[in-house]
Amino acid sequence: MAARIGVVIGLLLTLVVPAAAQTAAPPDLSGFWINQYTPDLSAVLGKQPPFTEFGAERWRTVDTAKDPTAICLPVGPSRGFTAPFPFLLVQHDKMIAIMFEYQAIWRAIYMDGRGHPDDLADYPYFMGHSVGKWEGNTLVVDTQGIDERSWLDTAGHEHSAKLRLTERFTKTGDDTIRWTVTYDDPVYFTRPWSIERTFTRGKPGDRILPYTCNENNKDVEHLRPNQPNLKYKHVPEEKKPGG
Amino acid sequence: MQRGIAALLAAVGVVFSGLSVAAHHSFAAQYDRDKPITLKGTINKIEWANPHIYFYLDVVDNGAKTEWAIEGGAPSTLYRAGWRKDSAKVGESVTVDGFLAKDGSKLVNMQQAVLADGRKLFVGQQTFYQKGR
Repeated sequence: MAARIGVVIGLLLTLVVPAAAQTAAPPDLSGFWINQYTPDLSAVLGKQPPFTEFGAERWRTVDTAKDPTAICLPVGPSRGFTAPFPFLLVQHDKMIAIMFEYQAIWRAIYMDGRGHPDDLADYPYFMGHSVGKWEGNTLVVDTQGIDERSWLDTAGHEHSAKLRLTERFTKTGDDTIRWTVTYDDPVYFTRPWSIERTFTRGKPGDRILPYTCNENNKDVEHLRPNQPNLKYKHVPEEKKPGG
Repeated sequence: MQRGIAALLAAVGVVFSGLSVAAHHSFAAQYDRDKPITLKGTINKIEWANPHIYFYLDVVDNGAKTEWAIEGGAPSTLYRAGWRKDSAKVGESVTVDGFLAKDGSKLVNMQQAVLADGRKLFVGQQTFYQKGR
């Protein structure tokens, strides 16, 4: 009887251990993914983000003719994932690479346990410096050192050099990723705020196409000052009791 | 019903054809929504290039020929909507509906372009995204 129980336990272990090992492996996010075009983050949020007085005044007076991407500066990490252009994601144990069609630019997410470099503030990146880790089946990416010349969206939401992004990538099916991004910037916002978007997998054989922004950027000669928010009235959020 | 679908598709084309410009920078920083314009002319050049395609029209008015620049979407979005760089050819006649540039130059953001045979040209740029494949 004891021997029979032992055989059963042994059989169960051979079944359970590999299954457990498989569960521990992170999901594969690699592939060709299509963003949800989001030119104005406040449209997703349903209101303007929680501006500081400074942030509100910057929003009120922003001139969209000064959009950094209009002169082909890199799009920044927020806009890379909200533009109407797809991206490739290549996943490796120690590194995840994201290659954006928009402006043919990339992000590297270091997965080897490192932190951010000490001198990051002196050498910012337009796409930021990103480190990631897995929390269960969710990839969590911390990005800092984002060049303050980039914008968060086409509408003209700006940020400071203190912007910190926390992105969470969760596969919600074979062909969908839920992307949640939290914007934390004490210069522009009174508290962190988040939006959620979905990436949808492209068809087999889809490929990234050329986007060489400087090739024929005739638009820049024709831009004229445009301040669409001059009537914006800032209403600070009410502080919650005890907050 | 078919007419309704056609009207809807046309509306989608009109609404979304300017979005590639909007991705690169705000539409209103370059064009004036209060200044719609319709031009009929002959294509004399096509620039299938980033960040947006341009083509150029010779427009004859009272015997005088004027060249207009017409801006469209990004090559990649047009490609995915089924357009190719030779979908229209130099010498073809086209009618363009769009909006004038704010700076007064002879530049139009194309919202719709129709070839002489009735084919709509370089529209539906956002199909890839609107359908969310």
